[in-house]
Amino acid sequence: MKKQMKLLSVAIIGTLLLGACSTPQKSAQSKDESAVSKEDSVKSLVYGTSSYGVGMSDAGLNPHEDYSGWSLVRYGVGETLFKLNDKLELTPWLADSYKFIDDNTLEVKIKDNINFSSGRKLDATAAKECFEDLLAVHDRAPKDMKISEIKADGQTLTFITTEPNPALINFLAEPYSALIDMKTGVDANKNVSGTGPYKATSVSDTEIDLTSRDDYWDGNVAKTNIKVKSVTDGDTLTMGLQSGELDAVYGLPYASYPLFENDNYNINSAATSRAFFLQLNFDNDLFQDKNIRSAIAMAIDKDGFVNVLLGGHGKVANGPFPMQDGDSLNYSFSPDKSKELLGAAGWSDSDNDGYVDKDGKNFEINFLTYPGRSELPVLAQSIQSNLKDIGIKVNINSTENYLEVMKDSKAWDILASAMVTNPTGNKEYFFDMTSLSDSPKNRGHYSNAELDELAKTLSTTFDPDKRDELAKQMSDILVDDCGFIFVSHLQMSLVSKKNIKGLTPMPSDYYEFSKDLVIE
Amino acid sequence: MYKYIFKRLLSLIPILIGISFISFALIYFTGGDAVAVRYEAIGGVLSPELISQKREELGLNRPFIIQYIDWLLGVLKGDMGISYVSGKPVFIYILSKLPNTLLLSATSLIVTILISLPLGILSAIKSDGIFDHIIKTVSFIGNSLPNFFVALVLSYILALRLKLLPVISQGTGIKSLILPTLTLSLAMSAKYIRQIRALVISELSKPYVIGARARGIKENTIIFFNVLRLTSLTIITLMALSFGSLLGGSAIVENIFMWDGIGKLAIESINLRDYPVILAYVLWMAFIYVFVNLLADISYYFLDPRLRLGGKNEK
Repeated sequence: MKKQMKLLSVAIIGTLLLGACSTPQKSAQSKDESAVSKEDSVKSLVYGTSSYGVGMSDAGLNPHEDYSGWSLVRYGVGETLFKLNDKLELTPWLADSYKFIDDNTLEVKIKDNINFSSGRKLDATAAKECFEDLLAVHDRAPKDMKISEIKADGQTLTFITTEPNPALINFLAEPYSALIDMKTGVDANKNVSGTGPYKATSVSDTEIDLTSRDDYWDGNVAKTNIKVKSVTDGDTLTMGLQSGELDAVYGLPYASYPLFENDNYNINSAATSRAFFLQLNFDNDLFQDKNIRSAIAMAIDKDGFVNVLLGGHGKVANGPFPMQDGDSLNYSFSPDKSKELLGAAGWSDSDNDGYVDKDGKNFEINFLTYPGRSELPVLAQSIQSNLKDIGIKVNINSTENYLEVMKDSKAWDILASAMVTNPTGNKEYFFDMTSLSDSPKNRGHYSNAELDELAKTLSTTFDPDKRDELAKQMSDILVDDCGFIFVSHLQMSLVSKKNIKGLTPMPSDYYEFSKDLVIE
Repeated sequence: MYKYIFKRLLSLIPILIGISFISFALIYFTGGDAVAVRYEAIGGVLSPELISQKREELGLNRPFIIQYIDWLLGVLKGDMGISYVSGKPVFIYILSKLPNTLLLSATSLIVTILISLPLGILSAIKSDGIFDHIIKTVSFIGNSLPNFFVALVLSYILALRLKLLPVISQGTGIKSLILPTLTLSLAMSAKYIRQIRALVISELSKPYVIGARARGIKENTIIFFNVLRLTSLTIITLMALSFGSLLGGSAIVENIFMWDGIGKLAIESINLRDYPVILAYVLWMAFIYVFVNLLADISYYFLDPRLRLGGKNEK
């Protein structure tokens, strides 16, 4: 009996060990060998990203659904008529040229040498079919674009809008405007035929398999097969790159970057327009006093937050847009000046308890944020410490349920949030969304008549230079008024093995894979 | 026996209705606006008109009780609604994740039994010896370590240093299965070793064991054919509860190893307030707990003759 038990135990353990190690290794090895022998000239890349999947609302490649257009454009399968360059300026992409015929009519000439991966030529009719489907099914596009009619003639596409819409060309750079062949349509796995340097061979909610196109319109694409894998856990992403299972990644935790700051890896970064900023709640009488707002703005050590807490993987913000360096530096870090301003507003530490007080009441504020973006709770703690230094007590509430909390205007005084301020090169978007009297994301009910007036002018101004000048004026007003305090801009970093070239992030966050991607 | 099973299955109906009603109410009254939360979570903006239109499309503007009855009637017809996020039918969506979760649950439970049963028994037999002290210390440490930590340590050693296994799951192959299985099993084994040890020690001190020893019956025979059989009832109850919990998915382990199961789906759905999926998940959890415990109860009937004969003797 004893012998039988021993034999049985040995057999079970042996089987488990064999199953665990030998068989899969062997099968994986033979699979690899056959792959190499069949396609030895095609290079492979496995790309891990925390930004793909159902949780990000960008699963699949159908640009007319949610934010899936971002995946279509990011992974080089689809392209838009216009694209944003490294200064977040619009440049033609699939478009050859454009012209506003009048305030309600935009004419776009499409390049003549472009085919979808399905083989169909991209002409104005194909583009019209795509835009008509977009306007019929997408939730945001109709309101953004305000299109009433689309006409197609050869390579000329004409948009007629219901009202003057100078930002229309910006929305033609939004990934939902990526052009796909509507004749082949969207398959059950949400795969499409686009015009980009890669086509998808398989699409699921967690992975996309891509292969380079031989017939790409804008030059040669290195023969490459790419697997995009959704990896939501930052530590797994880090270990995946360290172990070699992943060749390149997006979305590493800040603490992991030092592991890859060596000769074996490339770290390519770009400051994006995703801003981390504060909104003050103007329903609280305290913030009606500009001295108080200024005191808070000058007490925040933005440089310390970016360079120490984020390990330098960010960019100090002096306004809503990352390309406005040095424009609004009126509120540089100065705790002493902050204390003076608080004193001018009647707040001083009369009872020596470390907090300033007025009429027997300490200065205490409720700071609301959410953990959905890992930087925000860190920012909250950093500001808590900064404000304590000038005698303001901060109570932090970091909750995913912050929208519910905000319904009670007395439950919060400052909201820290993150937002892409300039997603399509149209700066008007940020003001429309957050800082005008009737903006949907104006959480603190900030109101500035001058800003509202300039916004009206901006919405009917077509000249790009004038639009830029107006946006700058508005940005300066917002920063000078301290209703909004901009702390930092997200730095997008792509980390890859040394042999991977051309994987360069852009400030717009839309473009990751291009024809320039090469595996040496 | 069949009457008993039928009764237990019938009792599932009020339990599931009760749980679904409470979950629905909790989500309705405390969950926040599903449309607004979802667009906020991904950094998007919808105008108030569009939010209202979306709510109308999803039927969220109707009174609570109408929404609940509508949902319940749908469930009875096998329609659990459409996921707000993926746009897929919830039933099919959950079903698509189920095989991965079933596989991981089954392997984790098997490995747990393979580790904890022999070690627990050995620890009891060698009670207060060096082996027992080592096992007690190891299981104490194992009990104290959170799953995510065990997962990261195992990944670091087995994947990163020894390069034996992948960090990230590559489908459902055995290589990808080992790390999540080990992570779940080690934590469970640490708990079960101590419980099995305590059960066996308690059983070994009973008069029938002393009597058997006095009659010269071999120690192994007493342990495997008497002690183990009697302790198996408690072990099965504990394992059934663990299996129920495993079938609900282990969100942290699934997330770390990118194992595409139900736990990962549940967390994503909660974050994005995908209410139809959350409700279906709650129903699934309730169902499996009741069902797995029913299976455990049925197994007692076969394992413990007293339960079969008890009724007859009373007559």
